Amino acid sequence: MSLQNLRGRVAFVFDEINFDVDQIVGVKNIKITDIEELAQAAMQSYDPGFRDKVKLGDVIVGNHNFGYGHPHYPPMRAMRHLGIAGVVAESFAPGYWRGEISMGFPQASCPGILGLVERWDEIEVDWQANEVRNLTKGASLPMEPLSFADHEMLDAGGLLPYLKRSQNVA
Amino acid sequence: MGYTIAEKILARVSDKDHVRAGDEVMAKPDYVIAYDFPGYTDVYFKQMKEDFGIERVAEPERYAIFIDHMVPATSPKEEELHIGTRTWCAENNVPLYERRGIGHQVAAEIGYAVPGAFVVHFDGHISQLGTFGTLAMGIRRNLLEAFVRERISIRVPQTVRVNLHGTLQKGVMARDVFHHLVRTLGPASCRFQVLEIGGPGMDQISTEGLQTITGLAMFTGAITAIVNPDAARLAYALPRARKKIEPVYSDPDAVYSAVHDVDLDNLEPLVVIPPTPANTRNLSEFIGLELNAGYLGSCASGRLDDLRVAAEVLKGRQVKPGFQLNVVPTSQEIMAAASREGYIATIVEAGAFVSSPSCDYCFGRIATMTEKQRAVSTGTLNVRGRMGSPDSEIYLCNAATVAASAIEGAIADPRKYL
Repeated sequence: MSLQNLRGRVAFVFDEINFDVDQIVGVKNIKITDIEELAQAAMQSYDPGFRDKVKLGDVIVGNHNFGYGHPHYPPMRAMRHLGIAGVVAESFAPGYWRGEISMGFPQASCPGILGLVERWDEIEVDWQANEVRNLTKGASLPMEPLSFADHEMLDAGGLLPYLKRSQNVA
Repeated sequence: MGYTIAEKILARVSDKDHVRAGDEVMAKPDYVIAYDFPGYTDVYFKQMKEDFGIERVAEPERYAIFIDHMVPATSPKEEELHIGTRTWCAENNVPLYERRGIGHQVAAEIGYAVPGAFVVHFDGHISQLGTFGTLAMGIRRNLLEAFVRERISIRVPQTVRVNLHGTLQKGVMARDVFHHLVRTLGPASCRFQVLEIGGPGMDQISTEGLQTITGLAMFTGAITAIVNPDAARLAYALPRARKKIEPVYSDPDAVYSAVHDVDLDNLEPLVVIPPTPANTRNLSEFIGLELNAGYLGSCASGRLDDLRVAAEVLKGRQVKPGFQLNVVPTSQEIMAAASREGYIATIVEAGAFVSSPSCDYCFGRIATMTEKQRAVSTGTLNVRGRMGSPDSEIYLCNAATVAASAIEGAIADPRKYL
């Protein structure tokens, strides 16, 4: 039970409600499997210079029902390759949530997050205190606690290591 | 306080007397269902052996595999995937259903929709088994847990109750009821919850119509949908049931996170415009919009009700020259019944292309659209690129609207043909 806090800058804010994450790489690129090629395509329609600005450990922020539609895995594979460490959103669509947690990619549901942070603020997601803190502005908000299984899965690094680890326990 | 049908089912499969929304339990699914698809089943089969040392599943009758995508195969690679699936099923003694139709429909036909059962799949459209009082969830890649363990971890969901009231007008179908729910309740209204449908208006919705509504539940944010099965649903499900389970029902004083009353009286045919299933509009706003193609089929539609109304619209009429109308019955059982009723002959004589059941039209693997093309569809989804080019467009609507639009080569109101 030692899931590490996320600490990084808000590299981008997707303010669209029901955001379809496939738009991050563009649907025409969704079948690309080469990670470098995917990373090249990522964020081109939002901020073409994104790749040069983002740092390892940065996070992205989303609006309500983030991940609605028919989410595929490549967009967030690309974002992780660029250094993104997790997503904080007002709320998430369940299919997207489950898919990314199973990849070991941290997601934090924090009602009010859009009012708490602006792009490039430094934030911390504290899994113990269940709190998101804006370190730049010195404000914070509670977030919704992870379920036990989701917490364990993130801590293990995804579905496969989670199942392997708990198999050993059993 | 009482319990919802979902809570009762999850209590039974967790070996507990009662569970409440919010509890985390270890549940043993009655059935684990999947269709073969690259990145899912082929990966599971490999991981079971290599990562977990599982050579054979312990209770093969709890598993069911369908081959309904990439049917028929169009490349050696696709056929190789199917061969791998057939081999695994034979080695494991797991039932395999191939070329019988779209699995979510066939699963009901062959008795996996046991009232009171808990079923998991990776694909969320399995929720349509909820028509029969089965709690069926799509859990994406986490389905691996159900392949390597007897039990899966699950948080008992809250339930949103929707009570239907009133009477459906001519030309308005179950699909419109579902799209109306997304429109009025919102695409996040049931997030992480169960959508439970009931009320006096249920007598307006056929069993097939309920399969349509429950099968699309994910677009309200729900993780599944369920119905307290009445005599008609039980009469379908119980004689086919592969397992004896006592059906359960929500208590009158069950705790719901929200209760909504939805009036069917004034509902009109609807259309869901691209590029998201949240974009519900009145069909009347889009009459005359030019089209290239129409698709009537999928696990959401393509059943007898849909084929019947399409035949009624198309009888003695012709599909507009140049318009591509693809009609794909959801299962072999449905296709045979539609043939006996004469619907298929009427639809073919009108100029439609009728195919045997397959999932492949719904995701653009065949009948693929190119940029700037536009279709009306009873498929599940209208996101960019779903049926081909990301620059083609999909307008979701009911089966009668697809048929009427095929006659005019443009979005048309079906009511004038009925």
